[in-house]
Amino acid sequence: MANTVINVKNISKSFGPVKAVANLSFHVEEGTCFGLLGPNGAGKTTMMKMVYARSPRDADCGGVMDIFGCDPRTQELEIKYLAGVVPQENCLDEELNVIQNLMIYARFYDIVSVDAARRIAELLDFLELSEKKNSKIRELSGGMKRRLVIARALLNNPKLLILDEPTTGLDPQVRHLIWDKLRNLQRQGTTILITTHYMEEAFQICDRIIIMDKGAEIMQGNPAQLLRENIEEFVLELDRTESVEEVVDQSMIGKVRIDSSHETTRLFARDIEDLKAIADSLQAGQYLLRQANLEDVFLKTTGRSLNVEQ
Amino acid sequence: MSNSKTPAYPPLYKRLYSVWFRHMRVYTRHLLSNGFPPFLEPLIFLAGIGLGLGTYIDKMDGVPYIEYLGAGLLVTAAMWTAAFECSYGTFIRLEFEKVYDGMLAAPLTAENLIVGEIIWAGTKGLFFSFAVLCILTVFNIVQLPNSLIAPLVGFFTGVMFAALSLLVTSFVKTINHFNFYMTGLISPMFFFSGVVFPTSKLPPFARPIAEALPLTHSVRLVRAVCNSNYHAGLLLDMLYIAVFILVVGCFAVKRLKKRLIY
Repeated sequence: MANTVINVKNISKSFGPVKAVANLSFHVEEGTCFGLLGPNGAGKTTMMKMVYARSPRDADCGGVMDIFGCDPRTQELEIKYLAGVVPQENCLDEELNVIQNLMIYARFYDIVSVDAARRIAELLDFLELSEKKNSKIRELSGGMKRRLVIARALLNNPKLLILDEPTTGLDPQVRHLIWDKLRNLQRQGTTILITTHYMEEAFQICDRIIIMDKGAEIMQGNPAQLLRENIEEFVLELDRTESVEEVVDQSMIGKVRIDSSHETTRLFARDIEDLKAIADSLQAGQYLLRQANLEDVFLKTTGRSLNVEQ
Repeated sequence: MSNSKTPAYPPLYKRLYSVWFRHMRVYTRHLLSNGFPPFLEPLIFLAGIGLGLGTYIDKMDGVPYIEYLGAGLLVTAAMWTAAFECSYGTFIRLEFEKVYDGMLAAPLTAENLIVGEIIWAGTKGLFFSFAVLCILTVFNIVQLPNSLIAPLVGFFTGVMFAALSLLVTSFVKTINHFNFYMTGLISPMFFFSGVVFPTSKLPPFARPIAEALPLTHSVRLVRAVCNSNYHAGLLLDMLYIAVFILVVGCFAVKRLKKRLIY
């Protein structure tokens, strides 16, 4: 039976009148990857910061937070010592080079120099940055900086790795590289807590996710299962709204669900053949037939897109 | 599920040291551009005074003017560097470079971070004071070995102004607000705290104000050190400095923490 690393129960957080996190509950088992998914402003980062004591929860929310048996309110240092954090912004010391950045950070954990140097060499190798060890920070690409911050978070062999949007703004290649590394760490037993607004990222690496909107939970569970239970398997996207009535005849009602609340009209169906039949009557380039994803689930439940600034 | 053994996070002194070390390491990265001006500045001052102003002023408070001003520079150098470090420097780390976001992900509390910052600014005060001392010694304006205590006064001056500047920083929304602090508070202290002329020459109504200023007490201490003229009155100056550091420091930590943890 796996241990529970993070247990969050009925936690809220307000900034003045704004409720950033509203009565959220979830738990993360050891060695699993848990994702907080939602658009910008959904409260993902705030929730994450509460886990590593960077942000206090509402004093009167009456909830429970337990990370490795520690309460962030009173045992901040214990949690920080066991966890590695990749903040949303890289916040590297621009004046220092790659190695120096890591050496200074190792001192925060009181790792002796010899061990730190060995650990840093290992991590640079792991994140494929060894060639850049003497480079200045400004000489690094966005993807390299991100990997360096991940290396920094791994210095103390964290049991829990917390990543705030680790791949936002990075190209697909780097994104896949980072995902590989995270899977690798997970295999070695590291528990991972990640925020993202990429449903693909959540799908690729998370064992469980919580979909959030405006601070509250929309749904929670295994990504594939959430898809199965909440949305038809296939989608046909049409680029012109006015053509809906023309292409969908009466016989399709009941088999196809039409969602035309947005600029693109989407037709959802459990059976791909139904959608193919409609697609056949259209010209190539006017439609896109694909599998439904978490973005569609989010859209269906909230009526809004995931990648929208709130 | 509870973890019975407490993780061995570093003890307080090591956490403070690691913050201090971070600042020291970044500062010494540019050793020449950061380490040279502290020596150059008193030289310029002394040249300006010695060759210019000093020829018009015979003596100030019974000592040659260059000696009078030189002793004051031992602490004003510490004041300036700590004030800059913990206003502009801290604000840039906080708002632009986001250095603290990275540091607070490590096993450090916001209090550790702020106190480490104050100790670092004190260290810079010590160093700047030491640089002035080197110049004053070379020109035989102060005598060794008595004057070797002066950088220690520089350290405490640095700590005082670090605490004060961090308190100011905790209120500041845009970096331009520091102009008020520098022009409105730090610069006047240079002129009215007994550095360029004795506070006893101030009009009577202004004397209590001068007494309330932190630099006045640093200046009095450092003059006593330079002249080896110790007297019981200095205990009051020490008391002022101790209370100032504790009270302003506590407020600074409390307020600035809210900028870091919210």
